[in-house]
Amino acid sequence: MEPILTTKDLSRHFGGVLAVNLVSLNVYDRQVHSIIGPNGAGKTTLINVITGRLGASEGQVLYQGRDITHRPVYERVRQGISRTFQITSIFMGLSVQENVRIAVQSHLGGSLSIFKPRGGLTEVNAKTGAILERVGLTDVNRQPANSLAHGDQRVLEVAIALAGDPKVLLLDEPAAGMSPAETDQISELISALGKEMAVVLVEHDMEVVMKISEHITVLHQGGVIARGTPREIASDKQVRDAYLGGDQWAPLTKI
Amino acid sequence: MNSTATAAPGGLIFRALRDNPRGKLILLGVFVFLVILPFILPNRFYVRLVNEIMIYALLAMSLDVLLGYTGLLSFMHNAYLGIGAYSTGLFLMHAWSGSVWLAMLAGVLCTMAVALPVGWVQVRTGGLAFALLTLAFGMMFFTVAWKWYPVTGGDDGLMGLPQPTLSLLGINLASSGNSTAMYLFTLGVVTVCFLFTWRVIHSPLGAVLEAIRENEERAAFVGINVRRYKLIGWMLACGLAGAAGSLYILYRGYTGPGVMGAFEGAGVLMMVLLGGMGSLWGPLVGAAIFIFMKDFLSSLTEDWEILVGIIVILLVLFLPRGVAGLPDLLRRTKAE
Ligand SMILES: Nc1ncnc2c1ncn2[C@@H]1O[C@H](COP(=O)(O)OP(=O)(O)O)[C@@H](O)[C@H]1O
Ligand SMILES: [Mg+2]
Repeated sequence: MEPILTTKDLSRHFGGVLAVNLVSLNVYDRQVHSIIGPNGAGKTTLINVITGRLGASEGQVLYQGRDITHRPVYERVRQGISRTFQITSIFMGLSVQENVRIAVQSHLGGSLSIFKPRGGLTEVNAKTGAILERVGLTDVNRQPANSLAHGDQRVLEVAIALAGDPKVLLLDEPAAGMSPAETDQISELISALGKEMAVVLVEHDMEVVMKISEHITVLHQGGVIARGTPREIASDKQVRDAYLGGDQWAPLTKI
Repeated sequence: MNSTATAAPGGLIFRALRDNPRGKLILLGVFVFLVILPFILPNRFYVRLVNEIMIYALLAMSLDVLLGYTGLLSFMHNAYLGIGAYSTGLFLMHAWSGSVWLAMLAGVLCTMAVALPVGWVQVRTGGLAFALLTLAFGMMFFTVAWKWYPVTGGDDGLMGLPQPTLSLLGINLASSGNSTAMYLFTLGVVTVCFLFTWRVIHSPLGAVLEAIRENEERAAFVGINVRRYKLIGWMLACGLAGAAGSLYILYRGYTGPGVMGAFEGAGVLMMVLLGGMGSLWGPLVGAAIFIFMKDFLSSLTEDWEILVGIIVILLVLFLPRGVAGLPDLLRRTKAE
């Protein structure tokens, strides 16, 4: 099977700090590919370079076989690469519905029909409703986004990312700060999404990672130190050595 | 859906009034009042003052498209009023003085032609750099108007302007020297511009501009070409400012570089802040307050700017969202 997204020797440094160091990985359609590693390992930077938020210092990002390393953000999104951020990034002053609606509009078109009302794009409205329904935000769709609870804001960001019918969805710690119940819900959603598209997941909750990933890549100080299935990663000696004493790795021993 | 099929004029008005009928009735009332005003005002001076208010209301509204809807700060938006005024004047003097409409069209197109490369450069920056560039370009345009004697008349300004005939659908109505006719002309153009801008802001395009204002990075990450839409917002705002400039020189029969100064630019910003940004109608009210205040205070003292400053400071402190925030404020105080 051909990978849908590939990075080839991708690097990014900040001054002397090598945040991402020669990372090569393959992401496949309909798989959840998790990227794990301690704080500062370079996970967020890797996602930033893949999605175009940051430029690459060296190496390439290939999407569907084409080199997109230097394409602007909005083009990557239109080609099917969507993401969420570690620090929630939504349209705070707009309603929940408008948050998703504008994303759908951007995807389906109609932004230049200046003589229509905003709610006049029938197809856009239908898709907006369907996405809100799917993630369970229909009840709060009229509320301003900044009035939502933290967990709902995280879910809203996933909804916004889904509006573009992504082929690759990158999620940077989507469950951060969520209650256990909310974490269960969102990991169920991510798992379902992983059956429809390629999902790249950065997550600290090892229970979630081990349960829903098909493939795991372990980053340490910017470089890949291990890759494999959850079972392989859990029994990898090098991974354990690298994080000896870290509580977050306790769930590994259960596998 | 079948309501569009039976779009009789009556139905159209009914549909237009369906949401927010009170706001729309107030606007309609203001419009009717403004139509009657020149016929009941005894003093020509006030007809001209209200005419000037309407022109600056248009300019303030166009700045609101940038500030309130796209989230872009333009320090010297009056520069584009100036460019519209000068190019309309130069068109009347050197090209053709037969038509007010054509002169206006020339003014708006010229303004947009100048605004396009400026905007192209500006949208490549963000935040403070964007605001500083508006200042730098504005200063440049001011200096050109001030120093380029052979074309602009330097600090004397454009003088000896021909007075074209105001005509509509081939019928000559009045000379542009007639203050009541010019007042009604201004009112008509400003009203059409307001309705047009209202429509655009409440369209899917306006939604894109608001998304950029709310979160530029997220906007890019839902696939919006942020630079392109900022440029569209910029061009809309400058086109409207150019129209205001045409109205300005047609009503005064003269323009000097003074309208393009940085001090004047700050005045336009104050109009928007006083009125409340992000509402379109707020800045119209803001322009009226600002110009009445200026007129009144300058009749009291030569140092009226100090008083304007104090009043603006007080309003910003106690009415941070401007006049447009007033209904909300009243509702909340009543609820308490
Ligand atoms: N914008 C930046 N400027 C400078 N250094 C950065 C920047 N972003 C990340 N870094 C550094 O790069 C390294 C990797 O950070 P990050 O990608 O955020 O790690 P993770 O997401 O795995 O916690 C860290 O040492 C961090 O300090
Ligand atoms: Mg991170």
